[in-house]
Amino acid sequence: MTADAASAPVDKAGGTALAGPPARGPRARTGASYLRYSAGKVGGAAVSLLAVLVTSFFLFRLVPGDPVKYMTGGRQVSAEQLAAYRREFGLDLPLWEQFTSYCGKALTGDLGTSYQFRAPVIDKITEALPNTLLLTGTAFVLYTALGVFLGTRSAWRHGRLGDRLNTGLALTLYSVPSFWLGLLLIIVFSVGMGPVPGLFPTGGMESGGKEGFAYTIDVAHHLVLPVVTLVAVEYGQTLLVTRSALLDEMGGDYLTTARAKGLRDDLVRRRHAVPNALLPTVTLIFVNLGRTVAGVILVETVFSWPGLGGLFYQALSVPDLPLVQGLFFVFASSVIVMNTLADLMYPLLDPRVGR
Amino acid sequence: MTTEGTPAAAKAGPRTLARQRRRHLAVRFWKRYRTHRAGLVGLAALVLFALVASAAPLVVGSDVSSVTGAPGRPLESPSGEFPLGTDRFGRDLLGLVVWGSRVSLLVGLLAAVLSVAIGALVGITAGHFRGAYATVMMRITDWFLVMPALVLAIALASVMSRSLGTIVLAIGVTSWPTTARLVRAQTLAVESRPYIERAKALGGGHWHIMTRHVLPNVMPLVLAQTTLMISSSILTEATLAFLGLGDPTVVSWGGLLQEAREAGAVSSGAWWYLVPPGVAIAVVALAFTLCGRAVESVLNPRLGVAR
Amino acid sequence: MNPQDQHGRGHPRAKNRRSRVLGLLAAAITLWAGLATPLDPAPQRAEAADGRKVLTVAVAQSVDSLSPFLATRLVSTSIHRLMYEYLTNYDPKDAHAIPGLATKWTPSADKLTWTYTIRSGTKWSDGKPVTAEDAAWTFNTMMTDEGAATANASYVANFRKVTAPSPTKLVIELKKPQATMAALDVSIVPKHIWQGVTDFSKFNNDKSFPIVGNGPFVLTGYKPDSYVRLEPNKDFWRGAPKFDELVFKYYKDGDAAVAALRKGEVSFVSGLTPAQSASLENQENIKVNDAPGRRFYALATNPGARSKDGKRFGDGHESLLDEKVRHALFMAVDRETIIDKVFQGHAVEGQGYIPPRFSTYFWKPSASQELAYDPAKAAQLLDEAGYKKNGDGRRVGKNGKPITYRVLCHATEPNDKAVGQYLKEWWGRLGIGVTLNCLDNVTDPWLAGTYDLAFDGWSVNPDPDFVLSIHTCDALPATPDDVGATDNFICDKKYDDLYRRQLAEYDPAERADIVKQMESRLYDTGYMNVMAYPNAVEAYRTDQIKSIQTMPEDAGNIYGQDGYWSWWSAVPAASGESSGGSGSTGVVIGVGAGVVVLAGAGVFLAMRRRSTAEDRE
Repeated sequence: MTADAASAPVDKAGGTALAGPPARGPRARTGASYLRYSAGKVGGAAVSLLAVLVTSFFLFRLVPGDPVKYMTGGRQVSAEQLAAYRREFGLDLPLWEQFTSYCGKALTGDLGTSYQFRAPVIDKITEALPNTLLLTGTAFVLYTALGVFLGTRSAWRHGRLGDRLNTGLALTLYSVPSFWLGLLLIIVFSVGMGPVPGLFPTGGMESGGKEGFAYTIDVAHHLVLPVVTLVAVEYGQTLLVTRSALLDEMGGDYLTTARAKGLRDDLVRRRHAVPNALLPTVTLIFVNLGRTVAGVILVETVFSWPGLGGLFYQALSVPDLPLVQGLFFVFASSVIVMNTLADLMYPLLDPRVGR
Repeated sequence: MTTEGTPAAAKAGPRTLARQRRRHLAVRFWKRYRTHRAGLVGLAALVLFALVASAAPLVVGSDVSSVTGAPGRPLESPSGEFPLGTDRFGRDLLGLVVWGSRVSLLVGLLAAVLSVAIGALVGITAGHFRGAYATVMMRITDWFLVMPALVLAIALASVMSRSLGTIVLAIGVTSWPTTARLVRAQTLAVESRPYIERAKALGGGHWHIMTRHVLPNVMPLVLAQTTLMISSSILTEATLAFLGLGDPTVVSWGGLLQEAREAGAVSSGAWWYLVPPGVAIAVVALAFTLCGRAVESVLNPRLGVAR
Repeated sequence: MNPQDQHGRGHPRAKNRRSRVLGLLAAAITLWAGLATPLDPAPQRAEAADGRKVLTVAVAQSVDSLSPFLATRLVSTSIHRLMYEYLTNYDPKDAHAIPGLATKWTPSADKLTWTYTIRSGTKWSDGKPVTAEDAAWTFNTMMTDEGAATANASYVANFRKVTAPSPTKLVIELKKPQATMAALDVSIVPKHIWQGVTDFSKFNNDKSFPIVGNGPFVLTGYKPDSYVRLEPNKDFWRGAPKFDELVFKYYKDGDAAVAALRKGEVSFVSGLTPAQSASLENQENIKVNDAPGRRFYALATNPGARSKDGKRFGDGHESLLDEKVRHALFMAVDRETIIDKVFQGHAVEGQGYIPPRFSTYFWKPSASQELAYDPAKAAQLLDEAGYKKNGDGRRVGKNGKPITYRVLCHATEPNDKAVGQYLKEWWGRLGIGVTLNCLDNVTDPWLAGTYDLAFDGWSVNPDPDFVLSIHTCDALPATPDDVGATDNFICDKKYDDLYRRQLAEYDPAERADIVKQMESRLYDTGYMNVMAYPNAVEAYRTDQIKSIQTMPEDAGNIYGQDGYWSWWSAVPAASGESSGGSGSTGVVIGVGAGVVVLAGAGVFLAMRRRSTAEDRE
């Protein structure tokens, strides 16, 4: 997300936004050491997940508001009934006991019952998760492809007009607030403006009542604008990282050697520079994927996409504690899982390590 | 760092020497910075915005934000009297965008300073004191790093009362870990140099080393980081205000966008309500990014990216 | 792809590659052109390819539950109205009670027993007959099961016993007389379906479709925050609805909903802002319906929160306990400006508690008691009350500190924030500070009484009993730990006496008279200052909806009526007016969109493949 403060649009910052610096990864020469390395990473991820579970529990206890009073919605309720509600949701227990029971249940996949929807949190999440994954997944594939493609091109033409325009556009779009871009796209391409007819739906995920192929088409139609918004604000970072990684590599001695051996210039680049330069990009790609899931809140709000982001915002205003906790856990764990995947893939991809 | 100082003027006192070296460095920095065209453009834009923001009280005055004294009808389209039209209260939008620059820039600046200050503190101390302290601090940093910052900021902003301070705090405490990592790495590099060893041998305490040797050396990095952080802080501020987590009585760019949306400007074609604040946000964010990239590339020429 | 062929060597693949890229580009351009061309400027019709008439309503609020025992949000209760018949309904012309599931209702001489005759021969949508037993079971469940009492406990609070002596006879015995027995807005559910429910507090009625009901529509599909679909109940006793389908479609963003209306994606949008309605007014095929609303929009003052056991809590400003101060504050509120600037004419200036739409109960202050806008007099009143200005021009409280009121506002309500800014400036001129405390969820400070003033508003039912009851001492919480039904802790003996009298008064005219006296009393206390009655501003497409019943019939609203009149009565526009073939337009666009997305992925894969091929050279 553009507004994601921790990911400054700088090549370096992008590279450092990793759970662990993979550059200091293992000198994994054998399968056994890779296994040991992976076990360490997976173990670390498990610890992080536990930490998230703990935080999400305590952090949201701070949200002002008594959920029980919200649930009773201004109706006349006696103190006994309020107490009964608290008992029902386990809010009468000491915080510590609430916490242990929360953790115990969470381990079995039970994240509690949503106060406002009176349905299991896990159900609400599994309802919304596929929608969010569809949106972010599509956008992710496209902006990664676009970012890597344009980044490579830009590095090739380093310093020329094409490169300047390319990076300039990427930086500009990166500075644009995603929600604002979304609103403008709605005005121009959904409502229609001047000669441009309203081409796309204004929001939502489906028109309803369609089945089979028509349904797929319908969803794809609804997907276009939110995906374009996400791609526009996200591809810049991938572009910049790819570009700078390539430039770094292009200055490398071994490239000079390769060239001296008489290899064609572009072949040198393709065969030697690109694979190496892709390393930071690959890690960034995974980190981005995790982030995108969490950062999609705004785009979902603007386009009325029925995903996790909208659900989170709705849950926070109650505060629907079990739902907020559950969603926060999902957001954070998506980042953790993706970071871990990046860590695990790194030694496999790095040609200087192993093989 | 780019330089280890010049082997000059052995006769001058250490203070003068240091000052000279610093001046020298600054000049060199500027010489190099000047070669970055994008950085210069960004800097020019920033100077312009800074001028506008500081001149705002004289040019437009706080009256522009008064609802009872609004000069126009609600949502008038741009005209000679109101170059950017009017908002939902009938206030002059050009004046509001100018007035709003103060809050947006201020919040962006304060949040970035807070964030970088936390990051630098954690980074320097974790780099200086090794051992358990560093391990714990870096664990916390890593852990904050995986927290979805925007989600966390939204949660924090909705926990506290709606005010500018809340926004600053919410952005500041969620965005520092990147800085902490960078600063720690730099600190480790600085502390491995021989003159630190010498300073220690001469009886320099922790405080002395951290403030006199490490800090000056990390400062450029910290500055670059701050510049970049302002950019994302301004965006986050706009985002939080847009989600309705800002103070509704304060005029800011994000707040204007939220009001525009609430008033139904998008569907009623009141583009003048929506476009200027967004453009202002994008331009300022871009300007800070360009400056930050230029600064970074001056300090770390190997990257050679921004050229 | 690689323009930097510095060595100038021949590059057999380059041409190949370039042409492939050009081909892709061409394909993409054709696609986008193809997207634009078949689009007729005429809007798409909300109708499926097979010519079914679909009425699509844009909604923003999430359904909290599809179980009538749990649902409290307007969208949910509106949908329940369509799924289940209530005992009675309200006449669309003037909102008097008319038969629904019950054809007749009579009180006993002692006013304590009501006998309803249940309509015979109607069926649930699964073919089982609807009987008095269903109604009795529904009420009894609400009276005995705490989970089932979640949403509508107040309706049965005064019930002693409910029985069904025969399939067409329902008897309700009361503890005390109650004049509102023809206004029981409770969904009667089929016993044979619901008696299997074990835990009413968790059963959301959203697992098996269609949902068995007996209203004008049958709910056939529901996807949270996406849509609610209903089909007409062909056997509905009042006659089947004319559309083939009714869809509530989600647009979390009001602008998106309006844009969808312009394009014909939806047939109806409610809750328009002034700017939106102005921009839709001159639009072809769209009718803006600007109807007097059923809400009042008020500024409530905290009269000192208290519970029935006499304990005081909360921290409302002590100066507000002075009636003069309350009056002064309201006299400094320029209601005309609020109507003119904030609502831009889409509201009526506030007078009494009940909006003029309910003409039976509408009351206006007399000239002598009216608190008209007069800032000079307001300042004078404050001086009289002993709150004088200090050297800085700030009025100081009895404790010597400058007065700053905390005004509680709903962060989700743009009007609260707008009016709040006006208050800040108006009261600022009086020398009083204002902190606007806007929250997503105001429940906590509200119930704890930790505010000074608050924006307040209620939708008024045709029977005003409920909105009147929330200002009685009886509605106060029993202890500070309980939650009362009270709105803002008002407890006034004179008002309470009048309330009791109207509830036991079965003669409509007499009752209306007492209600007006209550409104007068409430106005004088200055606890509830009604600033405006916001209009219901809605719009619909005339090329999709030919006619629709408003309520009240003259200048009434469409969404959120007391009854199912609007959607039940809506007549589809003739298909001749349709642009035709728009269904396929949608498909073409959709195909285009899908292909673009796939093309993007394809380009990516092609690049990957190519680079590996290159390496094999």
